Amino acid sequence: MYKSLQKMERKMNKNIFKKGSTRRNTAIVASAVAMLGALTFAPAEAAPTVKVGVLTDMTGAFGIVGKSNKAVAQFTIDEINKSGGVLGRKLQMVLADSATDPAVATQVASKLVNQDKVAVVVGGVASFTRVAVRDVIAKRGKTLYIWPASYEGNECSNNVWNTGSAPNQQVDPTVKYLLSQGKKTFFLAGSDYLYPRNILARVRQVVLAGGGSIVGEEYVPLDMTDPSNLVSKVLASKADALFEVVVLPGTGPFIKGVVDGGFKGKIAGTLFDEGINPIIGKQADGLIGVQDFYLPVDDAFTKSTVAKFNKQHPEAAGLFSATFNAPAWYRSIYLWKAAVEKAKSFDTAKVNKAMDSISLKNSIGGPVSFAPGTKHLNLPMYLGKSNADGSNTIVKSLGKIAPYECAKKQ
Amino acid sequence: MSPTTIRGIFDVLSLSSVLILLVIGMAIIVGMMKVFNMCQGELVLLGAVTAFLCGKYLGNLWIGIILAPIVVGLFGLLLERTIIHRFYVNPQGALLATFAIGLIMRESLRTRMSTQSSPVDAPIQSSINIGGASLPVWRIVIMVVTLLLALAIGLILLKTNLGMKVRATLDNPDLVSVSGISTKWMYAGTYAVGSALSGFAGAMIVPLQTLYPNLGYDNLILMFIAVMIGGLGQFAGPLAGAAVIAVPGAILGQFISPVTGQILVVFLAIIFMRFRPVGIFQRGR
Repeated sequence: MYKSLQKMERKMNKNIFKKGSTRRNTAIVASAVAMLGALTFAPAEAAPTVKVGVLTDMTGAFGIVGKSNKAVAQFTIDEINKSGGVLGRKLQMVLADSATDPAVATQVASKLVNQDKVAVVVGGVASFTRVAVRDVIAKRGKTLYIWPASYEGNECSNNVWNTGSAPNQQVDPTVKYLLSQGKKTFFLAGSDYLYPRNILARVRQVVLAGGGSIVGEEYVPLDMTDPSNLVSKVLASKADALFEVVVLPGTGPFIKGVVDGGFKGKIAGTLFDEGINPIIGKQADGLIGVQDFYLPVDDAFTKSTVAKFNKQHPEAAGLFSATFNAPAWYRSIYLWKAAVEKAKSFDTAKVNKAMDSISLKNSIGGPVSFAPGTKHLNLPMYLGKSNADGSNTIVKSLGKIAPYECAKKQ
Repeated sequence: MSPTTIRGIFDVLSLSSVLILLVIGMAIIVGMMKVFNMCQGELVLLGAVTAFLCGKYLGNLWIGIILAPIVVGLFGLLLERTIIHRFYVNPQGALLATFAIGLIMRESLRTRMSTQSSPVDAPIQSSINIGGASLPVWRIVIMVVTLLLALAIGLILLKTNLGMKVRATLDNPDLVSVSGISTKWMYAGTYAVGSALSGFAGAMIVPLQTLYPNLGYDNLILMFIAVMIGGLGQFAGPLAGAAVIAVPGAILGQFISPVTGQILVVFLAIIFMRFRPVGIFQRGR
């Protein structure tokens, strides 16, 4: 009922905006353009700008992530334009709000491709958005689509490129670390949807391969309000380690319950970093995870770029984090730029072909390169530990890890 | 008893008391006044927000817990006098109007919050050890408070003059109004008290969960089921209804997956409604 009302509301909004306002706006824009043309000496040889579609959730549950994404995209595009653009042409950001709703995402993605004629679309926060827009953009729209998020894996469509971490890049080192610390029995807990299920399937595989055992696996509904039952099951299992992918808003109450209940083991997951820790609260203390970036990453380029970002975008300072996909957004646009320059063309087919072997020396977190045939990146990964104040400590720098995806499944 | 059994029993008590606490306000507004109040969840949310803000800016959640019923009660009074009272003759209209109010409250919080959710620390954060199980004190406080609150409201309604007037008004407003009692303010006052109780519940339970826009909405369906099972027209029914769905839910949750457990509870509720459509305590008419 709630969903359908939301839809009704949206339809009404659309109709209101349709009435006459478009024509008036066009007239205003046309006269403004005419005036500008008369007043300024536009250099005749200036090449037209190239549009980059930036698709993210500016509103709805993931609005906070959208705020970060938009700022990082603007920052990256400004940086590229300052150094001369791509093939001599300046980039122009076209922002589309997918509103944490797959139906809206499909609409705005279609507009980006068919109306704005963007050269590439970067975006999506949750996998349901990727699934909703990928065919609209990459298949029917024949436009390059870059998915900049760590996710559950298995995205191998044509014209789609993944620039976040694949499950094995986060899960394998986390589990191996726990095993090396003498943790033998694991409890797996997650929210009941695709992402946690796929991540925990990988966890199970690596635990069993490493000689550990699974003493429990539980999934809770996304709208779970009280985690008591799950907490009791974890405590009763007496597991050495809890691998949890219970997503927000359930994460905090769940971890709090487990910690307060006297859980003796380690708690690990894929969604802990400076962006999420403060939302969890002080129970974040001691959480283990692997990301492609944490603020203390010891890399001169990373440090100076993040500092520059915080200065230029005070509205999103503190939102530059791996779980908000900030590093992936930054490198996505640079990877596309490198592919366009290699292809010497903005043509989708040519850029798509060039992407496979692109690498970046300067990237947030360290150098990255596409692992040929996998549509995913070889990423430098870091094992991190969360602190009570929301910050992260890097336990170990893991170096470049190859993705097991698409052609190279393991 | 093993620590696991102790925790199991504790979970049943805790989950039931949380749901009963959430339902107390609704038992008055939906159960007794028979207003299908779809924004009841957002009244809980408003209480939680009040507590959160007091915790954040005054550094003391106790103040928030005391303020929440006052703030939400006044808000409920305003709501009743401006909107709700127009719909007593039109229950379907009330359903839509209160749904809209809830939607507005929920979404305006979403646009104001700079994060998806915010943690709230309980005023008492310690745990006590009973038979090897470490049990959070705040949950015990909620059990005691719920029990006392339900008893107090029940006694006021049954044993005091005011309670009698309220029940009389809701039962037969015409007769009451010719007896010289202002039904207008009786209705407004009752709605305000129902709101205040929901606000209080929100402030109490937000440390167990976390502050997020759907905090009330996610609880709403279970609250409604509790009221439906308990039966309309009285106060105690919905509370018993809350226990009837929370207890099997909590017990099932210990043995089967929470997802299946949730589906089963709703399924059992439907079967119950089929055989006892008037609720637990009422005789068929």
